[in-house]
Amino acid sequence: MLESGGFESRQRVLVGEPVVEASEAGARTLGVTYWQAVDRFTRGCVRASWTGGGGKLKLIGGATLLTFGPPELSFDGGLVKCRHAIQGGLLALRAGGSVTLAQRPQGVQQELSVTVEGYLPRLAARAGAPPWTGMLYAKGQSPFHAAVSRRYFGLLLRSHDS
Amino acid sequence: MKVTVFGATGVVGQALVPLLAEHELTAVSRSTRDEPGARYVVADAASGEGVAAALEGADVVYYLVHSLGARDFEEQDRAAAETVSHEAANAGVKQIVYLGGLGADGPDASPHLRSRRETGERLASAGVPVTTLRAAMIVGKGSAAFETILGLVKRLPVMVTPSWVSTPTQPIALDDVARYLAGVCGNEATYGEGYDAGGPEVMTYRQMIERIAALLGRNPAIVEVPVLTPYLSSLWLNLVTPVSASVARPLVEGLRNPTIAREERIRKLLPLELTPFDEAARRALA
Repeated sequence: MLESGGFESRQRVLVGEPVVEASEAGARTLGVTYWQAVDRFTRGCVRASWTGGGGKLKLIGGATLLTFGPPELSFDGGLVKCRHAIQGGLLALRAGGSVTLAQRPQGVQQELSVTVEGYLPRLAARAGAPPWTGMLYAKGQSPFHAAVSRRYFGLLLRSHDS
Repeated sequence: MKVTVFGATGVVGQALVPLLAEHELTAVSRSTRDEPGARYVVADAASGEGVAAALEGADVVYYLVHSLGARDFEEQDRAAAETVSHEAANAGVKQIVYLGGLGADGPDASPHLRSRRETGERLASAGVPVTTLRAAMIVGKGSAAFETILGLVKRLPVMVTPSWVSTPTQPIALDDVARYLAGVCGNEATYGEGYDAGGPEVMTYRQMIERIAALLGRNPAIVEVPVLTPYLSSLWLNLVTPVSASVARPLVEGLRNPTIAREERIRKLLPLELTPFDEAARRALA
């Protein structure tokens, strides 16, 4: 947790070779695969829905868990990334922060990562509040996010191998 | 160069044939034709009848054939591809150009997309180098996927749609696919290679429906429901669009997975100016 009250988390894996091309298409593939991982992990109960202005992560039945800005795609040298600004939703205290899917060289290997920065989760304990007030985030949302990231890495690697 | 086109009278074949005018062209279809610009011959890749004669002396073969709509389309597609592959090897063909499907390489591809991938593999089975272009929905008059969307937009003021309308895709104009196909003809650098041929814009099917509706001056309400299965969707499409359920079902099953380009090598190889979606749709509607 940051002094600002925002949260940061980062999951990463190291792989032997790039799994996406260093191009706009490669960066977009990182983003699309992540939202596919959310869908697969929740068996379709949570789905990303996109319009020209951005996306929503919606629970089956219609509740909007998070809203995102449109994908910001970039590729520079070996770094390929897809960043979405977090704009709100039931799980966000207010707009702010981002989720970034990236592939970058790490020595002779490639690092695939999911980074959440500056996110203000509604379910987390506020600064100075007793820790138990953040149980839903610590025991629910945070492990869920980590599990989705694992599924995402798996999907990326499987689609690269096939 | 001598070029043979299987599926010359299909939607893509008809767009491709004029672009190959500089070559000595044999256009293959299952029924007799007599049109200028090509020598039309009758052959059936599924039964093998006339295939050897159509391939005689050919340097390059275009394979634009599928059996979508048949109950056993996967088996028919595999058998037809094997027949053409072996006859092409016997005829000394240097290159087979194949139009496959985007998203077909995914580990959980639908039967339709899996069949597109297997067809490419069978085409390569006799040793002739295959150049594969992979495309998502082709935006053009007569394209089954485009006609399905168009049928929905034209007929329904309110659409109850399954969740696949939020799946991202990268539709490409019919003319652009034809230009890519023509561009790899005889290009040795493309032998044995596969290329993702995405259009210039990524959008969801919902966005596509809304944009086609805007071109037609309509504004349908779209209600997403999570429980509409591919089977129910295909029956519904059969009822309200000109596309039969047997064609619609494999298409709908394929819509669950994103169909976007994962690489852009074809754009470096053939730097064409791609047609924006609205312009491609306008041409298809004309």
